[in-house]
Parts: sequence; C-alpha cells; structure tokens
Amino acid sequence: MQELDGEPALRSPELPAVLGAAGGERPVRLFEVGDAPTGLVFPTRLRPFHLAIGALFVLVAATGALLVGPADIPPGAVLAQVASRIPLLGVHSSLSATDIAVIWQLRMPRVVLGGLVGAMLAVAGASYQGVFHNDLADPYLLGVASGAGLGATIAVVYLPHLAGLPIDPLPLAAFVGAVTAVVATFALGRSGRGGRGATSLILGGVAVGAFFTAAQTFLQQQNTPVLAEVYTWILGGLSTAGWQQVLLVLPYVVIAGAALIGARRLLDVLSVGDDEASSLGVRADLVRLVVVVAATLGTAAAVSVSGLIGFVGIIVPHTVRLLAGPSYQRIVPLSVLYGAGFLILADLLARTVVSPGEIPLGVVTAFLGAPFFLVVLRRSRRLA
Amino acid sequence: MTSADGVVPIARRPGRILCLTASGTQMLYAIGAGKQVVGVDKYSTYPASAPRTKFTGYESSAEDYLPLKPDLVILSFSTGTLISQLRKLDIPTLLLPPATTVQGTLAQLDELGQATGHLQAARRVGAKLVEFLHHEAQQAHGRGKGKSYYIELDPTYYSATSKTFIGAMFSLFGMRDIADAANKASAGYPQLSAEYILRADPNYVFLADTVCCHQTAKSFAARPGFAGLRAVKAHDVIPMNDSVASEWGPHSMETFVRLLVSVLEGRFHAPAPTAASG
Repeated sequence: MQELDGEPALRSPELPAVLGAAGGERPVRLFEVGDAPTGLVFPTRLRPFHLAIGALFVLVAATGALLVGPADIPPGAVLAQVASRIPLLGVHSSLSATDIAVIWQLRMPRVVLGGLVGAMLAVAGASYQGVFHNDLADPYLLGVASGAGLGATIAVVYLPHLAGLPIDPLPLAAFVGAVTAVVATFALGRSGRGGRGATSLILGGVAVGAFFTAAQTFLQQQNTPVLAEVYTWILGGLSTAGWQQVLLVLPYVVIAGAALIGARRLLDVLSVGDDEASSLGVRADLVRLVVVVAATLGTAAAVSVSGLIGFVGIIVPHTVRLLAGPSYQRIVPLSVLYGAGFLILADLLARTVVSPGEIPLGVVTAFLGAPFFLVVLRRSRRLA
Repeated sequence: MTSADGVVPIARRPGRILCLTASGTQMLYAIGAGKQVVGVDKYSTYPASAPRTKFTGYESSAEDYLPLKPDLVILSFSTGTLISQLRKLDIPTLLLPPATTVQGTLAQLDELGQATGHLQAARRVGAKLVEFLHHEAQQAHGRGKGKSYYIELDPTYYSATSKTFIGAMFSLFGMRDIADAANKASAGYPQLSAEYILRADPNYVFLADTVCCHQTAKSFAARPGFAGLRAVKAHDVIPMNDSVASEWGPHSMETFVRLLVSVLEGRFHAPAPTAASG
C-alpha cells in the first residue's frame, strides 16, 4: 500500500468512517467492481489550489470570450465598458449604443449561458460515470438526447404557430421530451430481471434512445421542410443566446449542480460496487435515482436552450480525472468549473474561426472530443 | 438529350409528367407544358391549379410513383437510388439542380422546352424574363446601388451570399450582401454571428423565415440588441415568403423582384405573413 499526500492508506473496514468524515480528507481504497481490492489508493480532499486553478480557467475563458468577436470592439474599450457598470470605480466608457448592445445583450449572456451549459453537462457526465461505473457514460446515456430531439422535432412540426409567443415552445418541448425519455428508461430498466442495477438501466436507455430516435426520424421524414431547423438544433449552439435563456436554465443548473456536488462522496462509495456499497450502509439504487434525477433535469434544461452539444460530459470529467485523480470528491466540483471554461472557449472558437460566420458548437466540441476520446481509451488500456 | 443527371433518352413528347420540384413546375406551366403534367410535389404551390400530390422527392422507392404512370419525372435533387430505379422502369428523368444565376434558370427553361416539345415557347419565356429583369433593374438600380442587406433564412442567422440565386437577384440592383464577408464559413449559406449583423447594420433586412419559423418584423426587432438596427428604426425589415428565397422558377423570380422594387421605391407595406406559396 502506498501513501499519498502524506496521509496513511486505509485497510478496508475503515471505509465508511472515512467517507463519513468531514471533507473526505483521507485516501480511499479503489476496488474494481466485483473484484478483489486492487490495492490502489488516491487522495480525495479537494484542495483550495484545485478550486483556484479551476476558477482562474473560467475567468480567463470568460474574459477572452468577452473581449473577442466579429464586432471588433477594442479589448480595452470592452473592459472599460464592463468596469463602468461597477459602482464606485468611476470608469467612464464612450462606446456607441451598438457596441454596448453587443457587449451586454449578445456577448455577456452568451458567455454566461455557455458557462452554465458547460458546467451542467460536465458535472452530469461526471456523476453518470460515477453511478454507472462506466468511464464512457455521458449525460445522454439514458435517452436525454433522443428525448430532447423528439421533443424539439414535435415543437417544430406541430407547434410552429406558437413560435411567436413570449415563451418559445421549442426548449420547453425539448425539456419535456428529455425527461420523458429518462422516465421511460427507468421504467424499462426496473422492469427487467436484473431489477435496479446499472446495466439494466443502461440497456433501457439504449432501447428508449433507439425508439425516440426512430420516432424523430419518422416525423422528420414526413415533414422534410423542417429538416434544416431540426438539424440546426441538433448540432447545438449558442448563437441566439440572451438573458432570457440564462434565466430559464439558471435554476436547474444551480439546484442540480448543488445536488450532485452534495452527492460527491456517495459517488466514491458507489465506485466500490453496489453490493459493497450496500454492505457499507449506502443504498446504491437510491443514490443512483437521486443523482440521475438531478443530472437529467439539469441536462434537459441545458440542452433545451443549447441543442445537443456532445462530448463535454466526457472530455471534461476525464481531463479533471487526469489532473486531480479519480476521487469524485474532486471530479464533481472541478467538472463544474472546467466544464464552464471549456464550453466558453469552444463557443469562442465556434464564433471566431470563420468569423463573421459561425460553426455549430456541437461540431467544435465533437472535433475536440473525438481525438480526446482516443487518448482516454489508450490510457485506460495502458492502465488495464 | 443531356440533363444534369447525364444523357436522358426521351424518345417522344411526354404526356404524363411528374414534377417533383416547385421551380420546375413553375417553368413547365410558364412554357405551356402544363397540360402534360399529371402530378407535382406537395411543395409546388404555383400555379394553384397544378395537380398536387403527397410526394416530396424524398421517396425511397420509385414504385410509389407508378400509379400515376409517369413518362417523365423531373427532380431537383437525387437521393438514394431513385433515379436509377426510375431508369430501370424505363421512365426517363430530368434533374434540375438549384440554379445559382438567372442564366441557370434560362438553361433549365431550354432543357424543359426541349424535353416537352415547347422549345420555342421556352425561349420566348426566357427572353421575356430577361427583359423584365432589365427593365426593373433599370428602374430601381439607382436606389439599390451600394445599399446593404441581410437576408435571413432562419432565426439562428443562417443567410445567403450573393453567390446564391436569391443573392444574384439583389446583385441586379447593385445591392451589397453583408453575408459575403462570411464566404469562408460556407460557400453559399453561412451562419452569421448576431454581433456581426449588429455591427454591419444593414440598410435592409429580408426575413425568409416567416413561414418555417413565424418570424416577423416585430419578433426580429425584439431580439437582444436588434432594436437599434437602422433597418428596424426605418421599418425596413421585410417579411417575405420562405419559398421565394429558395426557388429559381420564373414566378418566384418575378414575385421577389417586384417585392424588392417596391421596397426600394418606398412603396412596400408589410403584409401579415401567411403560408401562401411563391
């Protein structure tokens, strides 16, 4: 057994006590599911410098995204404009009304929305990986994407007359579709012989995903003029971001994010396997339910305003894992920060690479995500 | 004869034409071949008397068309093996891909005239069309020259450059397309950044997403930061039928040019957007 961070390694029976300890300060043994203990240990405590680096990353990404754009406003003028809104600083800004609108009505909400969506997708991905013991689990594992896609298609095909209303039916329909798909997955997963296990849920997600995707494809095929609109939504993006969308998604991200951060220690317990977790007094099925409900609601809200942005839920948690170790007590909160920073930067690329044109954000994240995926696969093979 | 899908053997004058492109339908009726048409796709809304079917051109099997007993099928795009299936059934096809210039439309008019036995009429229609465009352009060119415009294809800011058919119409009047700056994003239909549209501050905005996405001058102005655009302030946000922006037939062309001239001459008054065709 090795020692990390100068703290003693554990000998197995102490696990519940450690996990119950404030701050999860000691290392935890890592077991492979269903196997004998591997003997690996890792630190779990989230250190201030981890948070500081994450916060700095978000700050740098957000500042960069705020300063750069096709409107070519000098960066100094943007900073002065932002500073002029901070009381007591006494900074004066002399930008035109158009430039002020660009900064406060377009760039700022876009940066904030990108941060919220990225944080939500990343923390949901990390949590899914925790409860399903699967490194490749992402927020769309249980049918959120196909459900949201079907909901969006229904809105485009059947509710176009509502498009002019103050509340846009598309995000609402996407949200309802996503939640419906996950509820169906749970119903299907629990009806299986395997009962409440992770595998039956994942299989349920595969079946529900296929069914919802088929329904969506059928609807699109029957209504070919909507193809472009649905396709645009599926590719994901923040091109129409405004404060309204920020307000729409904010409560979900805050509540779901808080719930998942609150459950981070239990995710470490689940990493030893359902049976082992039960023997330690943790109800794996209940934890899984709470985590999945929080992650699903948050993800559904995020995709309802941003469309389907892939890979964030995989890239970010794995990067955090590489940087800060495998404990969910670190991965979950840090995924919030790195997810926010990552999506803000990806969106900056989406709107600047072919400026003044845009690339769909989902294309950018997939472009970065696919090679990263390969790296993760190679690394996990080496570890195995 | 030769078409975009290769050499097409049309042995005799077709009498049962199935046309699966709205622009093709407009051309057939313009050259006097309407009586030979037995079916048009569900999106061919002009002329209203054309025998509309439920077909879209996206059908996966040529068998679907057999009840109409067509002896010529006209398409604007080819999906899967539809064309080869039709050929196997000894049904000739004509492929009329989207034109990007007026010359492209004239060439397709000729092609249809040749295939349907109305070549002289097709050439007359083409000449009349050119005359109409020259006349209108002469009338209003002075008002349009140098004026910038943004044409919106959907509310996520997809637009069309001057290299597209609709862009070519604006070019006739010397107008400047703000989407041209984004040519590297997409050859013809780039997605623009909202802040670029604000910065470019076009003289005119044309909304070609009134049917698909129910956009109006009011909903456009309500977008974050857009109330300050000079086109919004001057009431120069023009709602138009989506299909007019995507079709290259003579009727769509005339409809759009008349709209543009009325806008440039200040005679345009925004109608309520409808689902009517172009």
